[in-house]
Amino acid sequence: MDDASQPDDETLVRQTQGGDTRAFDVLWQRYSPRVYSLIYNMTSNHEDANDLLLEVFAKAYRSISGFRGKSSFYTWIHAIAVNMTINFVKKRGRRVQMSLDDMDANVQNDKDYIEMTATNTPLREVDLSELQKRLNEAMMKLSLEHRAVVTMFDIQGMPHAEIAQVLRVPEATVRSRLFYAHRQLQNYLEEFRNK
Amino acid sequence: MMLDEPQLQQLLKLKRFEQPPPGYFDDALQEFHRRQRADLLRQSALKIWWERSTSSLGQFRIPAYAYGGVFGVFCVLAALVGSGALNPGTESGLATLEAQVKTGSAGRLTLNRQFEWGEVERASLSLAPSIAPSKASLPRYVLEGRPVSTEVSLSF
Repeated sequence: MDDASQPDDETLVRQTQGGDTRAFDVLWQRYSPRVYSLIYNMTSNHEDANDLLLEVFAKAYRSISGFRGKSSFYTWIHAIAVNMTINFVKKRGRRVQMSLDDMDANVQNDKDYIEMTATNTPLREVDLSELQKRLNEAMMKLSLEHRAVVTMFDIQGMPHAEIAQVLRVPEATVRSRLFYAHRQLQNYLEEFRNK
Repeated sequence: MMLDEPQLQQLLKLKRFEQPPPGYFDDALQEFHRRQRADLLRQSALKIWWERSTSSLGQFRIPAYAYGGVFGVFCVLAALVGSGALNPGTESGLATLEAQVKTGSAGRLTLNRQFEWGEVERASLSLAPSIAPSKASLPRYVLEGRPVSTEVSLSF
């Protein structure tokens, strides 16, 4: 079914609260790729991301009766995902395993990819896939809070205000974390390029 | 040359393409359903066990005020026993009996004063058998060395 023909989140949440499990399936289909991306970019591990994705949705399903709609479902489930992932990574410790280094074939058609690999750009000097690997490593050197902000803003394209809502911090904190994280990433990647 | 801000952002945007293989999310949804069902079954078993446990415990549950009542009764009994009111075999009871009966030098029981028939006649009304057995297992009255009490004594 086309997503446009499906009911909005509010309706689906209400239906789920009323016991309609198919409504929750629609919410799964709508948000699981984004939640997965958030978790994966914070853990850098496919298996962990898989387990956490299921746990996040299970928790959301259990807690949905208490969801009052003060925020959007999207913000709410992102907040659950960020909190659970931070707790998980803190317990797990440092175990980094990149398992999705091979990018989707659609990357070849992406505007940013074409631009970056075009002639006369400094990035073309280095192997882009190698740079991506280094970027992943650099991401893992960031603190969890900074990593979450970079993931939501740069990778998922969420606005500052929404990220602030998810993390329950002021918007200014989101901006300063982003600034600091970008500086750190630039430094890590520069080290790689100078080697 | 250092990556500038837009280049870094372009590089980060490419991470959107780090996706799991096609069909992954459908399979994950099936796994989600499977786990939900298993969780539901486990919860049901636990719920049944919990309900049974609490209901069986409820049959034996003693209300809180019963503890207070039991303690109150215990206090009253302790006070009564402590005062000796419920124990005629205590020292005060024996002292009364000793005042009534005195043993002679030969070990026989004798009255501690001169016998008068008039007193016997007056007391005959009170010589009715007592329901309560003698605490000392001794006849209450002895005349000339012979017990005259109607109470049964092991010495006979």
